[in-house]
Amino acid sequence: MMSETVIRLDNISKKFGDLLAVNDVSLEVNKGETIGLVGPNGAGKTTIIKMIAKLLRPTSGRIFIKNSSGELQDLNQNARNLIKTGFLIDIPSFYDMTAYQLLRYFANLQNYPKSQINKRIDELLDLFKLSEWKHKKVKTFSKGMTQKLGIIQALIHDPEIIILDEPQTGLDPKARIEIRKYIRHLQNLGKTIFIASHMLYEISEICDKIALINHGSFVAYDTLENLEGLLKAKEIKCQILKPIAPENLGPIIKKLSEKLDPYLDKDLDPKISKVPIKYNPHKHGFRIFYKGDDETMSNILKVLVKEFEVDFTVHSFTQPKTSQLERIYSQMITDDGEQFNLKKRRGKR
Amino acid sequence: MEKLNNLYIEIKPILHTYVFELKKNSKKFIIFSIITGLIGFLIGFLGFALIPEDSLSSSQGAYFQDGLGIMSLILIFGVCFFFGGIICSEFSTKSGYIVFPKINKYKLIIGKYLGNITLLIGVIAIYYFILVLLGIFFYGLPLNIRIFHSFAITILYILAVSSFVTLFSSFMKSVNMTIIATILILLIVFSLVDQIVVLSNPDFEPIYSLDFMSRLITSILETDFPATTAERYIDMEMQGFIFRIWITPTIQMGITVMLLYTIICLGLASIIFSRKQL
Repeated sequence: MMSETVIRLDNISKKFGDLLAVNDVSLEVNKGETIGLVGPNGAGKTTIIKMIAKLLRPTSGRIFIKNSSGELQDLNQNARNLIKTGFLIDIPSFYDMTAYQLLRYFANLQNYPKSQINKRIDELLDLFKLSEWKHKKVKTFSKGMTQKLGIIQALIHDPEIIILDEPQTGLDPKARIEIRKYIRHLQNLGKTIFIASHMLYEISEICDKIALINHGSFVAYDTLENLEGLLKAKEIKCQILKPIAPENLGPIIKKLSEKLDPYLDKDLDPKISKVPIKYNPHKHGFRIFYKGDDETMSNILKVLVKEFEVDFTVHSFTQPKTSQLERIYSQMITDDGEQFNLKKRRGKR
Repeated sequence: MEKLNNLYIEIKPILHTYVFELKKNSKKFIIFSIITGLIGFLIGFLGFALIPEDSLSSSQGAYFQDGLGIMSLILIFGVCFFFGGIICSEFSTKSGYIVFPKINKYKLIIGKYLGNITLLIGVIAIYYFILVLLGIFFYGLPLNIRIFHSFAITILYILAVSSFVTLFSSFMKSVNMTIIATILILLIVFSLVDQIVVLSNPDFEPIYSLDFMSRLITSILETDFPATTAERYIDMEMQGFIFRIWITPTIQMGITVMLLYTIICLGLASIIFSRKQL
């Protein structure tokens, strides 16, 4: 099936005086995809989102959004034709009204069918566990509740594209899980989702593709799996059934280093780890940094099971997604502006 | 039919914003109405009831003039109170992040402007209503019809001053700064400039001044409204110097200037607002 582009950024740049906040960014987002925009503070994430939301005008370049006829349309042309988009930008700040009054106003502004507004408000408030606060003024809300309301207002008109800037800010872990669940639900409904976040775990858990941005430019834009392929070293988390006695740890690590020698990453970035095998006594597990592909990974597993049968029992053997993303992030995004040269690395593969 | 439908779709966001603005500022409306009502009652009734020496004006028109003397001051505070944050609050509180992607900025400002205008006219209507009731109480019927002319001029003055404040709100950074700056300009700067201009050229009528225009609110109640230019000013002699005090603009001039203020200030405010980035 042909993928259908719903958002296209064509070489957009944004300058604030002498500062080039976004530099020649191009991107295509297909229908139903969930895109994570990851980068350090000031990288240009929010600026890109603000340009899509028409809060900022690009200095150069164009933004296209799908219209009701199914064609990509310039954002500056008749906005009424564009497909519905919901935005949550920055920490939301609401007028001092009740949640119900605000949501009703926002739904009305976006032409949501009048007869269904109340039902939609109740549904979303219930989903985000804010039903009891329906008629309370927003100024009495906690930071997390305000953030939830921010997400609700982005979804109130049932948009096809949902753009969320740091949606997890101010939320407690339980609320974060709820929102992750809801984002997955939206994915199942075929919505296109664009999320900017610092929270690498959230991004790695829910996004189909990740755009890494630094100093206003995209450093990489691909699926997490493909981005992992660009890593110099990969990581395995191996949990064992019982903890290793401290007196046995040294010899076991030595033996591990010998047996896994052909696979281990010896040029490991010290920012990631100083040694390729690390034992965590609290979690009863090893972190093993290796070089290679899936076959290497299975070879390591074979060695661990066969050669160390008497030393420990492997309980689980995984490649942690978050950690991979963290490492992709730290490898590709540097403080000094020197960016990972994606094309060069791809050429080497 | 389709054209009408399209027009309705275009206007709908303005209507929703208008209604929302009425609800949003309902508390402001109540507070300001109570204060204004109390002032009206104090000026129109209590003064005469509590101080026996304070005699009533000779006619109902003069009574209304006395009662409306404070109107421009109430209006300046009211307008700044209602319109000070009309644009800049969207930027200073960042509520614009939520609203701007949902509505065209021109429609937002029109809806907000109309909502606040309605509330302020409502507040002023209460003041006029109290004054009219007291006027009938003290002087009986028939009611001096010019009070309605004065009310119409007051509405025009509200439009002019609110547009002026809206313009300031479009480029100032904070609500408080807008309120302070506009109160200072409307209360002090305009009258100071008027005096300087009149001193340097007594023949120059301060038609640029909103302060001067506000005098039409009371002067329109005059039974014999000045027919010639010479009747619209008084020359006062003080230590050999002649000072000219312009009493009132002509009705046509007042209406024209206030409408011009409204159109120019609102137009500029809209342009600045639409170009302003968050």
